Amino acid sequence: MTLRIQGLTYRYGALFALDGVALDVKPGEIVGLLGPNGAGKSTLLRMVAGLQPPDAGTVHVDDVDLWRDPIAAKRRLGFASEHPEFYEELSAEQYLAFLAAVRGLDPQAAAGRARELFASLGLAGRTDEPVRGFSNGMRKKLSFLAAILHRPRLLLCDEALEGFDAPAALYARETLRALAAGGAAVLFSSHVTEAVERLCDRVVVLHRGRVVRTLARAEWGVPSPGLTTLERAFLELIGVPAAEVPA
Amino acid sequence: MLEHAPDLAAAFARLERSLLRRRWAAIEPVLRFEIAALVAFLCASLFWRMRLRLGSIAFAHGPWAAAADGALALAGGALCGARHALRLAPGSPAPPWLALPIPPVEIHRHLARTSQPLALWAAAPAVAILAAGVGIVPGVALLAFAGGFGIVLDRAARLGCAAAFGLALLRTEPHPGCDATTRVLAVAARPVRAARSGAARWRGDGAFAAFLRKDALLARRPGAARGRLVPPLVFGALSVLVWTAPIAPGAVSTVALALTLMAAAGVAGWIVALAASDPFPVVRSLPLGPGVVWGTRVTWAALGAVTLAAGQALGADLSPAPSATAPVAGTALVALAIGVLGANYAITLFPRADHAERILGIALAISITASLMIYYLGWALLLAALLHSARRLPRWARSEAA
Repeated sequence: MTLRIQGLTYRYGALFALDGVALDVKPGEIVGLLGPNGAGKSTLLRMVAGLQPPDAGTVHVDDVDLWRDPIAAKRRLGFASEHPEFYEELSAEQYLAFLAAVRGLDPQAAAGRARELFASLGLAGRTDEPVRGFSNGMRKKLSFLAAILHRPRLLLCDEALEGFDAPAALYARETLRALAAGGAAVLFSSHVTEAVERLCDRVVVLHRGRVVRTLARAEWGVPSPGLTTLERAFLELIGVPAAEVPA
Repeated sequence: MLEHAPDLAAAFARLERSLLRRRWAAIEPVLRFEIAALVAFLCASLFWRMRLRLGSIAFAHGPWAAAADGALALAGGALCGARHALRLAPGSPAPPWLALPIPPVEIHRHLARTSQPLALWAAAPAVAILAAGVGIVPGVALLAFAGGFGIVLDRAARLGCAAAFGLALLRTEPHPGCDATTRVLAVAARPVRAARSGAARWRGDGAFAAFLRKDALLARRPGAARGRLVPPLVFGALSVLVWTAPIAPGAVSTVALALTLMAAAGVAGWIVALAASDPFPVVRSLPLGPGVVWGTRVTWAALGAVTLAAGQALGADLSPAPSATAPVAGTALVALAIGVLGANYAITLFPRADHAERILGIALAISITASLMIYYLGWALLLAALLHSARRLPRWARSEAA
């Protein structure tokens, strides 16, 4: 099991943000996290990313206890935040070079992968500008890119694709599928049920800090394959041949 | 559906009152006290200076007070103008004003009205100057000065805002059917594209070197970290130059030490500013322990201490007094201790840099006060603060943002 969450509990005063949440994500699996505003999705992901210690419960990443051995656990994970924060004065490329060095990645390989990801997500040409000048969509793309640069064993996406333009969203979905096909586990939180429906193998529904239901893909059926008519029309209008875009 | 014409004046008045209340609430009580104490200190100092000046020259030298108050009113107006110019500069954070169905002139009036209260900063010292004239300058004249000051301050604030608007208008281009105010507000709302930096250096030399390189980059790029580097550089330079000043040989080393300590405190403040620039979700989700972060920040503290000590050695060499010597090793040790204290607080209180800065300031103030009473007590307190803050370092991984 790549991610094992057991009895995770967190309280804001008297209010239970998370109440004994238990959840597993297997290697190669993309698990969706659905829930209304305030259900505890972001709190859960922040705890799994090691940003916030729980009041009770454990998080294991590849059998490594996150709060007993945080460095070993964090080597294995990537986190794309809902509200990304950066070193605002650094350029996007300088920021990724810093992350690659801290994570001990091969500099040449990391630089090549970053260039490829920049181009695919539509950030090429803006990589030497300070992040402070980036739009919301560009910031979300950079956060996603930083989370997948090192090909993590566990990827946490907290509404990470919201704000992406259509080609970048399609590319990101394909990247997530490729990561999962390579054995990574993905925990994908979103308000957009359509994105979860298309992408995820399983959906965990969180409500008032509790897991109320787990749905297997068979329970919601198979979404129509390929691009929607609107997506196809939009891509043609912006000059991206639909045939080149992954379904 | 529009049922009645909106009362814009009342709506803007309500907004301005709410903004004022929000800004006041945003200043912490301790900070309010600190600001009030500083203003009181400044006013008291001004009061005595003016009192002496007015008393030493003949009676009816009220024009001195009037001139000083007039200058203060103009300074208040200039302050408003500067604030208003910043608000009208491209890329200023503001609501999408032009999307509202309001005449642009009303919007600009509102912006000017919220810039003008800044002029009130000039009122406190002006009152101190007028108070200095009580019993020396005739009461009627003082009342006239007070009234005149109020009028001049109001006019200066309006003039400052008008000048800022004029400058902003110069940045716009004529557009048919578009009035001057709309053009200025449209330019203010336009985002500014940041200057490009050089190509990134992709290196595989580990987390420690990456952190050091990143800190150095942040110190060079425009931002808070670069701004906080100015005080230690200025005080450091002064601590060297003071050796060449015409000061009694016995006093010069004391002044140089005081300046060096201020530079060391500046280095510690810069280290706290570096920690403040670390984005919490990024740093905490990286496979990093406190050792790397602490090590890099202490490296900067050590570099600062060595530079300041070397500056003292250079200053003593430059001194015209043949027997001038600087306590180089002692200076380095104290500067290092202050820098490491800054690093410890920055890391153990991360991401609350404001708390780190305040506790650092209190620790240093207590050490200095203790030093003035019993010389070695200050150093003992500094060492105690250093050890106490170091004990909390291993808890870094468990501390949280709340």
